[in-house]
Amino acid sequence: MSASEDEADVAKVLAGDISAFEGIVRRWQSPLINLAYRFCWDRARAEEMTQEAFLRAYRALGSWRHDAAFSTWLFALATNLYRSEVRRIPASTVSLDDVAEPRDQRAVDGGLEDQDRDRAVRRAVLRLPVKYRETLILFYFHGMDIPTAARDLALPEGTFKARLFRAREILRGKLPRLLMAPRLKEES
Amino acid sequence: MRDDDLDRILNREEILPSSGFVDSVMDAVRQEAATPPPIPFPWKRALPGLFVAVLVLVSVLVSGAARLTPPVPTPQLPGTSAFALPSLLDAARFVGVDWIVLVLLLTLTSVVFSMRLTGAKA
Repeated sequence: MSASEDEADVAKVLAGDISAFEGIVRRWQSPLINLAYRFCWDRARAEEMTQEAFLRAYRALGSWRHDAAFSTWLFALATNLYRSEVRRIPASTVSLDDVAEPRDQRAVDGGLEDQDRDRAVRRAVLRLPVKYRETLILFYFHGMDIPTAARDLALPEGTFKARLFRAREILRGKLPRLLMAPRLKEES
Repeated sequence: MRDDDLDRILNREEILPSSGFVDSVMDAVRQEAATPPPIPFPWKRALPGLFVAVLVLVSVLVSGAARLTPPVPTPQLPGTSAFALPSLLDAARFVGVDWIVLVLLLTLTSVVFSMRLTGAKA
């Protein structure tokens, strides 16, 4: 994805050529939908939220100051929208206490079905307090790149790291058997 | 479970946008572009009226307060009349200032309400 393509399309749109916005949508639809999906784990809702994010980006295109990459600006805008949407209508009504670990301990030791384990972890992530959930989601979405993820949330890196640590602590408390030995890249 | 595992769990499921997604977004964008911008509130025209309304409101409040507080005997200064204020109030009552103020207040309320409505839509 080329930054110059983004710049050229933005310039065209601002000059009145609305169809140039399609290039922006085509380039960024997949990353934005996948980011939205990690906030709600619901495909239809992810597309709705992404459409709204593009619409807001279109409205606010003139406010992009070019001091950061267009993608940075777009992701910050989308993240902000996804956060408020998920706060407004929570992604899941399942209580964290309902996130059941496998009853059979042997299943964990001997090899719990990957699918069950993944589902349990995802549900636990969804039930994290919002500020920890979004920290965790963005950290992994951006390939464990703390500066980028912190920028999307408009947080200082120190605050971001603290929230990340706390998020993992909560997860570990809720899923002790699944998260036995967390080893973090930035800690190593 | 390590960090990479958590990464895999949270990021494994890549979803593809549905086939009509781009068209749907572009339809919404075109609709947005076709919508005329909201009409700005005509502050320049409204300000004089609002200013007068505020003045009248203040004068009514002052006269109301004057009615409620008992008159305090004050030494009369040379060249002024102690009956100036009451006679002014009588005159105001005579021309129906109370009703005018009521109407202005209603107007002000409706203006504020309509501004809030348009502001919420914008």
